[in-house]
Amino acid sequence: MLELVDLSKKFKQLYAVKNVNMFVERGEIIGLLGPNGAGKSTAISMISSLAEPTSGDVRFHNESILKKPGDFRNIVGVIPQEIALYTDLTADENLQFFGRMYRLKGSTLKNKINEILDLVGLTDRRKDVVKTFSGGMKRRLNIGVALLHDPELLIMDEPTVGIDPQSRNYILETVKRLNKERDMTVIYTSHYMEEVEFLCDRIYIMDHGNLIASGTNEEIKRILSSEKTISIKSDQLNEQFISLIQEHPLVNRVVTTDKEITLMVAKEVSMFVELTKFAEQAGIELTSVHNRTPTLEDVFLHLTGRALRD
Amino acid sequence: MIAIILAKFRMFIRNPWTFIIFTVMSLGFAFIIGGNGAVSTITVPITAEEGAIENINLKESLENEEAFRFNWLDEEEMRNQIENGKAEAGVILSDDSYQLIIGVESPNVSMIEQAVQRAYMKHNQKEAIVKAAEADTEDKRETLLQDFEATMESPVFEVETTRFTSEDAVIYDNTFQSLFGFTLFFVIYTIAYNLLPILVEKREGIWDRMILSPVKKWEVYVANLVYSFLEGYIQIVIIFCVFHYGLKLDFYGKFVEVLLLSVPYVFAIVALSILLTAIVKNVQQFNAVIPIIAVSMAMIGGAYWPLEIVESEILIALSKINPITYGMEILNGVVLYGYSFEELLYPISILVLMGVVMTGLGIHLMERRHV
Repeated sequence: MLELVDLSKKFKQLYAVKNVNMFVERGEIIGLLGPNGAGKSTAISMISSLAEPTSGDVRFHNESILKKPGDFRNIVGVIPQEIALYTDLTADENLQFFGRMYRLKGSTLKNKINEILDLVGLTDRRKDVVKTFSGGMKRRLNIGVALLHDPELLIMDEPTVGIDPQSRNYILETVKRLNKERDMTVIYTSHYMEEVEFLCDRIYIMDHGNLIASGTNEEIKRILSSEKTISIKSDQLNEQFISLIQEHPLVNRVVTTDKEITLMVAKEVSMFVELTKFAEQAGIELTSVHNRTPTLEDVFLHLTGRALRD
Repeated sequence: MIAIILAKFRMFIRNPWTFIIFTVMSLGFAFIIGGNGAVSTITVPITAEEGAIENINLKESLENEEAFRFNWLDEEEMRNQIENGKAEAGVILSDDSYQLIIGVESPNVSMIEQAVQRAYMKHNQKEAIVKAAEADTEDKRETLLQDFEATMESPVFEVETTRFTSEDAVIYDNTFQSLFGFTLFFVIYTIAYNLLPILVEKREGIWDRMILSPVKKWEVYVANLVYSFLEGYIQIVIIFCVFHYGLKLDFYGKFVEVLLLSVPYVFAIVALSILLTAIVKNVQQFNAVIPIIAVSMAMIGGAYWPLEIVESEILIALSKINPITYGMEILNGVVLYGYSFEELLYPISILVLMGVVMTGLGIHLMERRHV
């Protein structure tokens, strides 16, 4: 359905996206992952025809969208990261406005608005000015606006940023419903690995403008099939302890946060004795040490060297 | 396109304060500084030597003066007023002469003297007629003077004196200077702050949403420009209407022309605003730049004071690239100088040219910056 062929975008001397190849089949939910500055938003801009690539092409049903962007725009819905709504207008007025942008009018527009408000659960608040809405409600309306013209392809750029878990679940369920009930194809970018794991059939991982991995959840996790993850928790983590772990020859990778250290080692390696010894040397007490199979987050760390939310 | 304009007006109705504030400020400044066109009078203390001015003609003539109100006092009081700076000058009248007591040398003093001279001349003229007609009784004298007054009010023929106004002549009218100046100045803010949402819409992705819809990009631009133009123009119409209908300022019969000829100026300011919107990077920069641009343009363009009093070559040169200069030239030209359409064509053309160039440049810059 959609294909990115050697897609690149260069700003002055810097490549924001470099030779990205990607395909999306009809009815799929595709996850696009990457830390900040990975090139996701630039890629999304080119996929949605808002930005022209420096080189390469975006093909929809085997035709370049660059030739007839107007035709492509009629069948694509874009949900930007920002709340792209007029906050001085009501939910109803926003939908009316954007509906008219899509040349909808009269009873068609009215019915569509009712349907969308029902879908995003805002029928009761339709007459309220958007600036009085909670973050989650704004996000839901933001999604609703992109659905007014029944797009075949929905592009969602981090649609759950900064909202409460309840609204996030509502949005994720809505995306699932749209995909199942309307056979809508979705490209979904997120900072939340669990969302991508929950929603997506296939995942593309980007870093520094390059595509560094792709496949289903399982395929990607298999990248680390020969490794395991050890998660260490302590309230007293210090530099000495961390450097002792980093210098250990069997440790492949270490990521630290305030109270947790995650390290990757070969599957057969047991580090328990060494870790206890290091803790003693550094004068700290460990709260817990867990062995687990690698998650998508671990794969991401392995590939990019950065946590997803860095 | 219509949907965009309607949505903008809907939001304007919800939040009209920027428009109201700048309209009220224009009205307030124009009214306070320029007045409402009524002629202000200067009070002049006046006294007469004992026994003088028995004839009321002289007194009446002075009291009929429009520019001055002669306040009859005794000589000591008059001198006190002048000494204390309460009056610029005073007049002591005698039978066939007068004395001018000057406290402050000002252009008003010579005008006071001219008024007093006119009164004496009229008085002497009437006395000469009475003498020539040999009206020796009081009744005859009174009848004669009444006939004279009646003839003066409806003469058999009138002699109209006109003069050619040379190209360099300057007509200064404080009311129109302030009205036009402050209106053209404050409308810059109204228009600019109406185009500011483009920056916000681009930042918040609303612009992208519109671009992704079947609406053409030019339609989005035109809708924004038309809306800003309408709001700026409506502000100008409201201000001029308040002065015309509310304060009875008759624009020398050129009210409709003034309204129509404001159009090129509003167009140029809309264009300037779109250029500024394209140049600045964010709302904070825009908020900082607009007052600087508006105030300096108003000073250089003659909105606060007439350009004719500016002597600096640099400022005069800068005024040539300033829309306010041409806006003021058009409005003053049509109202005060009675310019013909051919004479107005030059400033109109400059404003239209500025508008076209700045709109093109602004949109080009915006498109280049937009990723």
